[in-house]
Amino acid sequence: MRIIVIGGKGLAEQVADALHRAGDEVTVIETEPGREPALARAGLRAMHGDALVPSTLEAAGALRADVLVACTQSDEDNLVISLLAKKRFNVPRVIARVNDPANDELFNHSWGVDALVSPATSLVSMIRHET
Amino acid sequence: MHVVITGCGRTGRALATRLDAEGDQVTVIELDDTVERGLPAGFRGRFVPGNGIHPRVLEAAGIAHAEAFVALTPNDSANIVSARVARDTYRVPNVVARLHDPAHAPVYTEFGIATVGSVQTTVNRLIQMLHHRTLEPHQTFGNGETLLVRSGVPAYLAGRRVAEFNVPGEIGVVELSRAGHSKIPEASTLLEDGDVLSFIVATASLGRLRSFLGEKWS
Repeated sequence: MRIIVIGGKGLAEQVADALHRAGDEVTVIETEPGREPALARAGLRAMHGDALVPSTLEAAGALRADVLVACTQSDEDNLVISLLAKKRFNVPRVIARVNDPANDELFNHSWGVDALVSPATSLVSMIRHET
Repeated sequence: MHVVITGCGRTGRALATRLDAEGDQVTVIELDDTVERGLPAGFRGRFVPGNGIHPRVLEAAGIAHAEAFVALTPNDSANIVSARVARDTYRVPNVVARLHDPAHAPVYTEFGIATVGSVQTTVNRLIQMLHHRTLEPHQTFGNGETLLVRSGVPAYLAGRRVAEFNVPGEIGVVELSRAGHSKIPEASTLLEDGDVLSFIVATASLGRLRSFLGEKWS
């Protein structure tokens, strides 16, 4: 699958790396400058850029991507990137990360989000189910 | 009019103060609750601490009955999110956002959000003041990309047709004043000495218009 992951150090890079190892064609739009060389050494296609600029997403291959993962540490950015991906580039599957659980309710189809990953909410619900 | 503003920096504070002074009902949303102290004594509006992208914060600010919403935070994506929620979820009829980074302009356009771009507006105005002092605009449109300017016709252009000034997408003659009477000229109208023309012109084409009007004029 062709996958675009947007974000920086931590979750975004780990997800990108794991997908790459699993054989997917992964492009990372790195939000932190200077980290592309390390990603490139790991065999990932990486570019530093502002994913709120449509031409950056296009350069990363948004028109041909099967999946886009908006995984930055800003919920506002993730929402706007998700909607751009869905509305402008018609990306079939858009997955977004929620940093602040108070924003969970915003991450839905009206923002182009097909699935959300909310670590805090997942943990809380896991604890609730376990106990 | 009830206006909800997110972002209480210099612009937000100045706008809130002005609207309040003009009798509008103002509610200001700001993440940093120490900012409330920056509002002037006697400010009758409300202050709601919180993040303007959260529906419950917007609701606390009375968004459901607001007639206008202005997103003025220093973060373009926060402005886009709150503006779109205000417009689409709460049906606020008049929504405007501030555009910080001109590179983000296509996103606001894509989502149909009207913007005021501080950088573009300032740069357009500065270029005009530096390069085109003689073509003072009567009206500017958008963020200063399009202008309405008036200019007398230099004597040596008498006898030329109006059509010679029209450049599609750049310059259009929209009005002609002659001997105290104004009319909308046709392409074939011949210019006379003493005519004053109104042009609609792209800011980027001001140099071209100036060269049409010639050195004698400037």
